[in-house]
Order: sequence, then structure tokens, then C-alpha cells
Amino acid sequence: MVRMGELAASAAAGDVLVSLGLGSCIGLALLDRRVGVAGLAHVVLPASGGTPTPGSWRFADFAVPELVDRVVKLGARRPMLEAVLVGGASMFAVSNSSLEVGQRNEAAVRELLRAERINVIATETGGSRGRTIRVHVSPQTVTVREAGGVEKALVTA
Amino acid sequence: MSRYTDLQLDALRELANIGSGTASTALSSLLGRSVDISVPNAFVLPMAEAVGTIGDPESEATGVVLGIVGDMPGSVLLLFTPKDAELMCGLLGVEAGSEFAVSALMEIGNIVGASYINALGQMIGMELEPTPPAAATDMLAAIVETVLAERAAAGDIALLLDSDLVVEGEDCSVSFLLVPDQGGVDQMLERLGV
Repeated sequence: MVRMGELAASAAAGDVLVSLGLGSCIGLALLDRRVGVAGLAHVVLPASGGTPTPGSWRFADFAVPELVDRVVKLGARRPMLEAVLVGGASMFAVSNSSLEVGQRNEAAVRELLRAERINVIATETGGSRGRTIRVHVSPQTVTVREAGGVEKALVTA
Repeated sequence: MSRYTDLQLDALRELANIGSGTASTALSSLLGRSVDISVPNAFVLPMAEAVGTIGDPESEATGVVLGIVGDMPGSVLLLFTPKDAELMCGLLGVEAGSEFAVSALMEIGNIVGASYINALGQMIGMELEPTPPAAATDMLAAIVETVLAERAAAGDIALLLDSDLVVEGEDCSVSFLLVPDQGGVDQMLERLGV
């Protein structure tokens, strides 16, 4: 379970990394599909303004490099990393600037991935619905589900 | 999690109590029923734990959120289960699931939330103004985390003041969350002298 501002990585076959009900937050999955290593970060906000809080990965600018480090430590090969993005919705119909956090989160994560030269291979972002992401470590698949919907495969083994 | 002392949490709980008392009066005159309030809970939690404390993350809920602008920025979130939303609509004579249902819940949120915010402002002598309501029906986690995310820049500790309004004679309730910005909580405590 990867909750708000948390991240996790695994190389254990059978492990499933899950973030339930992502709203404006982004679930960022990093995969090395050949070696069966995966990581998931639950990013809350785009940028920290520079002050790190120990143990909290809620800001994209801390979470993305940390997640890359964690999967590489577990044996993922850096050039083979691929990314999947889920979330970043605008949940509330009447929007004000702060409720567009979802779009800013997605933009920030994409920019950071570009800087790390990691390709985004699948996304399910924007819109106005909450989503749950499940990352199966091995065999490696990524699924997403909206409220009241069915599980949909974003990445298949 | 010892950021706040027991005495401070008691003071915050008391604030929530008076705020929700005023809110229950507003709801009561809107519905023409008597409305009870539960003893509020005050939770100070790491943000990661906040959603799970409120309920099952993937359960369906309708949330109505009002922003607070002024001396103490924050958000007020009203949460209805599908059953509560339907009963509330019924009490207002609006068909659940119709296009008016969301407006009806938003109006309840507006009246109840605004009276809560006004009561809070008066009590602590702060200028607090509610912003217009916005509503969403979705997974509980998606609604709650989006409200928390707005307040997450200052720290990853969430303060939740949680009360329930229970409509008498109906098995129907609304839960009520106040999510202040972190700096705002300290100001609030200062005003209360604890």
C-alpha cells in the first residue's frame, strides 16, 4: 500500500504495489520489465520550494529521483526504466486555481521524467474521476480502476 | 505526533463542537428536523494515515468542499455516504440521482459549511470567509486526498476535526471535516491562549 506522500519499490514476484483512490495526486510507476523490478510513488504536490522533510516524498521533485534510486538499488537498469502515470484529476466541478493541482502535478512529474530520460509508456490522467493503480511486480502488469468501474490493463506482461 | 498537547487538542475539539453546534442549527432549520451532533474527534496524523482514518478509501462518497479565506486559510469538507445523500435529498423533496440532487447537497454544504466557518471566526476573533462550494461523487480517498493536497504544502501532518450531524428520526448523518493550514492552527491556539 503506497499512501499519500509515500513510495515503495520491490523486486519480489507476487508483490503488488497499490495506491487507492488517487484524486489530484499522481501515482507514478517505474518499471524495468525484463528484470521484474517496479516502484510506485504517490505524489501529492508538484514542487517543494527546496526544503526536504525527512521521510516524506509528497513533492514530485523529491519523489521522482528517490524512486529512481530505489528501483536501481533493487537491480533495475537505469536506461531500461519506463514510467506509467495515473491520477492528476480535477475532482471538484467548480474549479479554482488550487484545485488544478492535478494538472500541475502531472506536468511536474513529466518534466522530471524527461530530465531523467525515462519514457512514459502509458497514462490514465486528468479528467474528474478518482483512480486506483495496481502495479504487479512480476509478471509485470499495471492496472487502473475508476470509481464504480472495472480493472483496466495499462501495461500487460 | 506530539505536535499538539492534550490541552490544545481539547481546545480544538471544543472549537469544532461549537462550530458544528451552529452548523446543526442551520441544517435543522433547512430540513425542518431536529439535528444532533456527535462529540467531535480531533486527529493529528501523518498525511499518509489521514484517508484510512476517515473510512474505506475505495468506498463511494459525495464530498462538498468549501474553502476558507481570510486570517486562517483552510477547507471544510462535508462527506455523505450514498445512503445519506439519498436520505438528505429525500428530506428536501429532491429525487436522488437527478441533476438537482448534487445542487441540493451543495446547498446543504453551503449553508452548513458557511455557518460553521462563521461561528469559528466569531469565536476566535478572526476574519474568515467561505468560498463557494464544489462537489464531487467518487472514491472517498480521491475526494479526501484532493482536499488534503491543497493544504499539504506547509507540512505533512494533517489536523482533522471531525464531527457528525445526525438527523433525528432518520438514519441519516453527515460527517464534517475541518482541515486548516498548519500555520492557521498555531494562530488559532494562540487566540485561545493554550
